[in-house]
Amino acid sequence: MSATPSALRSGRMSAGQAAVAAGAGVVLTGVAFAVTPLQGRAGFVVLAYGAGVAAYLLAAARLESRRSVVDRLAAVLMVTTVGVCLLALGSVLLYTVARGVKAMDWYFFTHSMNGVGPRDDAGGAYHSIVGTLQQVFLAAFIAVPSGLLVAIYLTEYGRGRLASLVRTVIDVMVGIPSIVAGLFIYAFWVLGLGRGFSGFAAALALSILMLPIVVRSAEEMIKLVPAALREASYALGIPRWRTILRVVLPTASAGITTGVMLAVARVTGETAPLLLTAFGFDSIRNDPFSGPQSSLPLFVFSQASSAFTTAVDRAWAGALTLIAVVLLLTVAARLVTRRNRLV
Amino acid sequence: MRSGLAAVFVLAAVAVAGCGTDDNSARLNAGPRPSAPVAGANDRATLSGAGATFPATLVQEWIKHYGGLAPGVTINYQPIGSGAGIQQLTSKTVDFAGSDVPLKPSEVEATGGAGAVVQVPWTAGGVAVEYNLPGVANLRLTPQALAAIFAGRVTKWNDPAIKADNPNASLPGSGIQVVHRSDGSGTTQVFTDYLKAVAPDVWTFPSTKDWPAGTPGTGAKGSDGVTAAVKQSAGAIGYAEPSYPKQAGLAIATIRNQAGRFVAPGATAVSTALAAATVKADGSLALNFTTTSPEAYPISSASYLMFYRAASDAARDTALRHFAAWALTEGQALAEGLDYAPLPEPVQMAALAAVKL
Amino acid sequence: MFRYVTTGVAGAVVIVLLAMTLFLLARAWPAVRTAGLGFLTEREWFPDATPARFGIAALLWGTLMSSILALAVAVPVAIGSALYVTEYARPAVGRWIGYLVDVLAAVPSVVYGLWGLLFLVPRLVPVQRFLADHFGFIPLFRNPDGIYGKSVFAAAVVLALMVLPIIAAVSREVFRQVPQELREAALALGATRWEVVRTSVLPPSRSGVVGAIILGLGRALGETIAVALVLASTFDIHLRILEPGGNTIAANIATKFGEAGEVGRSALIASGLVLFAITLAATVAARGVIRRTAVVGRP
Repeated sequence: MSATPSALRSGRMSAGQAAVAAGAGVVLTGVAFAVTPLQGRAGFVVLAYGAGVAAYLLAAARLESRRSVVDRLAAVLMVTTVGVCLLALGSVLLYTVARGVKAMDWYFFTHSMNGVGPRDDAGGAYHSIVGTLQQVFLAAFIAVPSGLLVAIYLTEYGRGRLASLVRTVIDVMVGIPSIVAGLFIYAFWVLGLGRGFSGFAAALALSILMLPIVVRSAEEMIKLVPAALREASYALGIPRWRTILRVVLPTASAGITTGVMLAVARVTGETAPLLLTAFGFDSIRNDPFSGPQSSLPLFVFSQASSAFTTAVDRAWAGALTLIAVVLLLTVAARLVTRRNRLV
Repeated sequence: MRSGLAAVFVLAAVAVAGCGTDDNSARLNAGPRPSAPVAGANDRATLSGAGATFPATLVQEWIKHYGGLAPGVTINYQPIGSGAGIQQLTSKTVDFAGSDVPLKPSEVEATGGAGAVVQVPWTAGGVAVEYNLPGVANLRLTPQALAAIFAGRVTKWNDPAIKADNPNASLPGSGIQVVHRSDGSGTTQVFTDYLKAVAPDVWTFPSTKDWPAGTPGTGAKGSDGVTAAVKQSAGAIGYAEPSYPKQAGLAIATIRNQAGRFVAPGATAVSTALAAATVKADGSLALNFTTTSPEAYPISSASYLMFYRAASDAARDTALRHFAAWALTEGQALAEGLDYAPLPEPVQMAALAAVKL
Repeated sequence: MFRYVTTGVAGAVVIVLLAMTLFLLARAWPAVRTAGLGFLTEREWFPDATPARFGIAALLWGTLMSSILALAVAVPVAIGSALYVTEYARPAVGRWIGYLVDVLAAVPSVVYGLWGLLFLVPRLVPVQRFLADHFGFIPLFRNPDGIYGKSVFAAAVVLALMVLPIIAAVSREVFRQVPQELREAALALGATRWEVVRTSVLPPSRSGVVGAIILGLGRALGETIAVALVLASTFDIHLRILEPGGNTIAANIATKFGEAGEVGRSALIASGLVLFAITLAATVAARGVIRRTAVVGRP
């Protein structure tokens, strides 16, 4: 067998042989860790994985053609990249959950940070949950209707120079870094017009980030509505605007809802623009139109940079709450899409 | 579908509204209630303040206690740095500011000229030199060694300049990681003022709120940021108010004063140092870093409360002045337990006269 | 009537955005005039000092360094996982992996920052020490002081996690658009799976993948909070990514806006506009490249 040129080898390594080879690599690493000064759990896992893979590929090289070994190498590398992705995701989520549940109780959700120092084991995120809900709702209140109207304009009426200008502006808005959106509102609304920090200023900044997402997804969905539906409506003598409102939008509604929910999920987690617009506040403020307000991301940010463990625990609990809200919205958006007949 | 989504949000907003509270007293141990009600017991106002991180721990404690005495008053203090506090005061986005440095002439101009802003010292404290050096519990530093470390002239822990005063410590040969404030800070101002006053030949940099350029080391935001950065890497040294390293379990270096003794930033040591300061006409203190009192901790300073003399809202002005008067009298008793120092009596009296209605 | 309402709203969006941009340019102008050419060459950031001394040189350097390093980490992983999902895994498994990678994109940036600061940075210290001890001869990995902690390297790893799902998602779509006949033709010639990928999937996808990478770059350039938490805020220009320090335009805005005075605000706005211009260029480039590949990809 070993005399055959590798290109002509045609054997296949069996699953058993592969497992034995990989296992040998891992055992070898174990022996190496036992007899040499090598140590450390993370180091062992990495080295054992590398040795296992190397042994597996060496075994394949003995039994199979070079092309087939390269194929196996590529497959191993790709599985590794998927593993890295899942490991990273698992690490972020599990660590956040593990640290977050510690400070998370009913008290956390029903109390503000009013009068609580960084070292006090008290206080909660109620005020920032209220702030986040109000700011995101106001942002959606601004961005969703105007985004829908812009999308309708682009798909139904938009021709000529204004349409291409609108399209360009929406494209530009997609690329606005969130901190720059915050800077816009900070310079324009907070300082320029002298309105000061407020939840509403935060909502304005968030709506800048939401609008292009809503326009894009709504545009895509409206384009998917079959022309036959539209024409049937026209044939019945229904005017164009009623056709749009009664036929096109309802047909595209599931997809549009998905887009809106993804946009909401995206801006719920935004921190940078809020820093410059909502500013942060320690007690409950139910009026988003006057004075600084807190929000969940700001709460996490302000508690995170503290040296005191009580504050850091609160930061983790806030982070867990935030992740839960955002992931729920994302999953819900996916479920809505699944019901959508258009895609 | 869209209205459904909106409805979910409104429902959620309604669901959380009303079931939350600002009252954290159940989990906070408030101090003993005084027999007589305080002057501002019946005030109703929401006050927003921002500024120095230096007094933040004490201010939070005051707010906690004052909440029980004047239930209608809600006070917020965002520790964002002295520079930022003065900036927010100038923009009138806050009701009051905390700052570790008095207003500069240009800032007085920006707030509407001399006398437009009331500034009074409301607490005092030392700047602690915190370090992370496993195995070294009591680091002693001369002003010259301290200045040399922060100026980048001494870069290894076993440098003779440090070794000379710590003969028994096992100082490693690794590099010194200097951590300073990245934001404008009164703590930085006091620290660099001190270095410039006691070691002008070593500390050739300016003394400013912003950490000067050309020095080694990394920046961190806020005293908590500096403390966290020092705690995270062995071999690091930084500066912050004493409560931060104490809570974080970091060691604090003792500093040699003019009398030749190595002193820690305790309340008595700070008060002793401040007794050598004089009150100026604008309400600020002229500090004396070179007092020869043997008990004094040299890097000591006062922190200031600032608010507009002509307030836009009478109710908030009254509540703020009541709170300030309480903090300057009964509130001073809370200082010592939190590693701050009570104001010396003449300073306290002058401040009280300035905030009275 | 309805037509005029939609046209009016679309026009209003354009006007509001243009007005705000003009307003920002006007606010940024005083700082740029004060600093002159120094705005591009100065490293320090003391806009409110007298005399004012500030510039974006170090910030720009840090922004580009951290973003490019993040791409260096994220691109192979993203493309590898996208190829696995579209070419190797069974459809059901692939769909689930796709969902999970998308979840990475949904995690808020402040959570990445918190996780990066408290979980990743301490665990990266031995990795960084290992790199400096064994590969210190490479300028990138030099760390003469032997101190480890918050660094450009750590920021790049966190950023890599944040841009990975974007690159992976777009690459998946690009690979899916490759006509099935191309794959079948290669398989008919006896190609292994990897040879199918190499000869039939990757060549027509190249410009699409480049577009995906530029989209990821745009996200990395503008990320603020996670970077602000994981970087140690210095104003240096050097290659030593393991040394504690680093700063970016976005992080600098977040940390400096509160204390900024008249010139300081103007300077921050100017730096924000520079950031905006860079990400805009990246977005336009990405769209151009992706549009071209869409023509190639669709049969």
